[in-house]
Amino acid sequence: MKNIIGAASGLVMIASWAFAEPQGTFRQAHEVGSGSASSLDPISKGRVFQVTEKIMSRLVRPDMEGRPSPDLAVKWSANADATEWTMELRSGVTFHDGTTFGSEDVVYSLERVLDPEMDSPARSAISMITNVEAIDESSVKLTLGSSFADLPLLLMDYRLRMIPEGSGDMIATTGIGTGPFKLESFDAEGTTKLVANMDYYEGAPAVAEMEIIGITDGQARLQALLGGQIDMERGITSQQRVMLEGSDKFNVQTIPTGNWRGLIFRTDVAPFSDVRVRQAMRMVADRQAMVDLVMGGGAVVACDTPVGPRDQYRAELDCPQDIEGAKALLAEAGFADGLDVDLYVATLEPTWPILAEVYQKQAAAAGIRVNIKQVPSDGYWSEVWMQKDAVTTRWNERPADQALNEIYLSTAKWNESYYKDEAFDALLSQARSELDFDKRRELYTQAQAHLLQTAGTLIPYHVTRLVGTTARVSNLDEVENNSVRWHLVSVD
Amino acid sequence: MLAMLFRRLGLGAITVWLVSIIIFLGVEMLPGDACTAFLEREAKGKLLENCREDLGLNRPALTRYAEWAKGAVQGDLGVSAKGQKPISELVGYRLRNTLLLASGAMLAGIPLALFLGVVSALWRDRPVDIVVSTLAIFAMTIPEFVSATLLILVFSVWLGWVPGIVLTPANAPLVEFFPEVLLPITVLTLVMTAHILRTVRSSVIEALASEYAQMACLKGVPYWQMVFRHVLPNALLPTINVIALTIAWLLGGVVVIETVFNYPGLGRMMIDSISDRDLPVTQAIALIIATVYVGVNLAADILTMLANPRLRTMHIRKG
Repeated sequence: MKNIIGAASGLVMIASWAFAEPQGTFRQAHEVGSGSASSLDPISKGRVFQVTEKIMSRLVRPDMEGRPSPDLAVKWSANADATEWTMELRSGVTFHDGTTFGSEDVVYSLERVLDPEMDSPARSAISMITNVEAIDESSVKLTLGSSFADLPLLLMDYRLRMIPEGSGDMIATTGIGTGPFKLESFDAEGTTKLVANMDYYEGAPAVAEMEIIGITDGQARLQALLGGQIDMERGITSQQRVMLEGSDKFNVQTIPTGNWRGLIFRTDVAPFSDVRVRQAMRMVADRQAMVDLVMGGGAVVACDTPVGPRDQYRAELDCPQDIEGAKALLAEAGFADGLDVDLYVATLEPTWPILAEVYQKQAAAAGIRVNIKQVPSDGYWSEVWMQKDAVTTRWNERPADQALNEIYLSTAKWNESYYKDEAFDALLSQARSELDFDKRRELYTQAQAHLLQTAGTLIPYHVTRLVGTTARVSNLDEVENNSVRWHLVSVD
Repeated sequence: MLAMLFRRLGLGAITVWLVSIIIFLGVEMLPGDACTAFLEREAKGKLLENCREDLGLNRPALTRYAEWAKGAVQGDLGVSAKGQKPISELVGYRLRNTLLLASGAMLAGIPLALFLGVVSALWRDRPVDIVVSTLAIFAMTIPEFVSATLLILVFSVWLGWVPGIVLTPANAPLVEFFPEVLLPITVLTLVMTAHILRTVRSSVIEALASEYAQMACLKGVPYWQMVFRHVLPNALLPTINVIALTIAWLLGGVVVIETVFNYPGLGRMMIDSISDRDLPVTQAIALIIATVYVGVNLAADILTMLANPRLRTMHIRKG
């Protein structure tokens, strides 16, 4: 009897060992956004995040609800006014090259982001950090220039990944990190190969290999998914969804995101310098109709707030279409006969022209005559955006504080609507230093409500991401890239 | 003959040089440069300055053209503005891949086109001609991206016989492009066969109606002997030029096909380099394509001349 039990438990052990052994290859595509300037340096402009997110780790990462949860930092705490943060680091973690991860690597990685000479695009996200120092082997202290209660939220930024001390010059090609996968070969325009990191601190990954394949053309990526040449394509359109859902060879995930598209009316030029005109421009929008017509229902209505629907600071606002109200405001501002607006769009973002046309029809009811000017996608960001008076824009999800500060603060680098409002600036700085969560949320809510009253940016919706996978994929978390636990993904 | 050859070579060189100037001016005139294209909305301040410094974009346009031209004459095409890799290395593989695609399509397409063209001309207005001509019209008028997508749908999504998209990296050994390269070759073959076939057909019909063919007929020369001895040699001469143009088109990189199939050839590289404002790469590819056009056309003219005694003697007398 004993023998039988022993044999059985032996079998179970063998079975579970066999199960734990990583197996199969998971393949996905990326759009080669930076061409031959693509890099594995997580903070460079050319970073291929589809690769860095799998080979490198952050201090803090979002959990399934988007809240900060431990990654390389296991615990953190702040002093009374949130100007000094102590992060306790995970111990026993090694980089892919065998060196031990420790506080000096954190200091190096963060100082590199903050270095003005590097001028990394990630710098503005954590520019309030003035000093990073190692307390001992496994803890660091971050000193801030001003109070900031939500620092962990910012440390979740997808670019803030930890690399070995002194590796800055080589990281673009070596890709050494602490993530669940190790780099085998990097070829941004061809196929990048990753292998399972058996020493990953959360356990060995479920798949043995990953291939990240560069396919520039969106249609070609879909064909590759349909033909079973890749296993996952993130960001399929609602039309393509119909194709995939009709087949049992594919699955589709629906993920609400904080990514948005919008129309900008520059607040520093007439007639939009008049707040009444700006209000009217936004009141004419029937946002639900926009969601249905432009996105085929695949979006969540927003009331001109850049804060995503799943963010803990999202304000619940109401913004129905109000044609009469808009007419009244326009008349008050001296445009009783309506006004003419040149709206610039490009096909850089395929939904912009459709959004502009829907807006044109809706605005016409209030006497706003929108003249759509189609311009080349080439050079759109340098020649049109932030240059012309009325343009289209798009942004990807970022935490509430970052979204509000980077796009609307008077001094923001990307203040695309040239929005300058002292009351709004004050609300943001109060929110940052408020340590009580409920009070802080109240302040962020007020700031968003203030935008609905005064902003020049029409944000009709936040896009819902559709992720198509082949049926052989399982355990892929139904969240944005930023939160996916890649070591759990498995293939048959 | 020899003098003519030199004159044509000289003219060809001038053409290539003019093309390089036009391309340079064209890309210069586009809004933005390699740095703004790469940095997008981060193209500001220090980051932009550093980038322009690195790529030498802050020097005057004329200086940059002169330096490039000097290198190009010596066979050095410079380095890619973005990847900082030597262009000859980057373009070399792409050129090879485009050659693979082109030679596949030519090997399949040219014999097929000649055969079908002659057959449909000899049996003019019979069922075989009507079927071939109708199919040719379809193949010519359906845009390549439509026929490409249809073929992918049928052969890779439904039947699963061949992969739909080419995932092989640009610098892989040629063997690895099989079987991925089969679908793009098929689409190209369809289009080029239709074009050449129609020229062959009309020129054979013309030759059949000519006086010398009628004369041969009246003299009692057997039909097939007349076709092979008198009609075909004369009828196929004009098609040399059509074939040459088609080859030039194929070697120039077939942009649409390469994009649809994600094929790492010259055409896709050209498009990518223009949208990246990667001037050195754009210039290099334009140079290659221009040289191919000039070279292939010259070769076609020489072939025509060799095959036609009348043209040959005319030039000898003139020269």
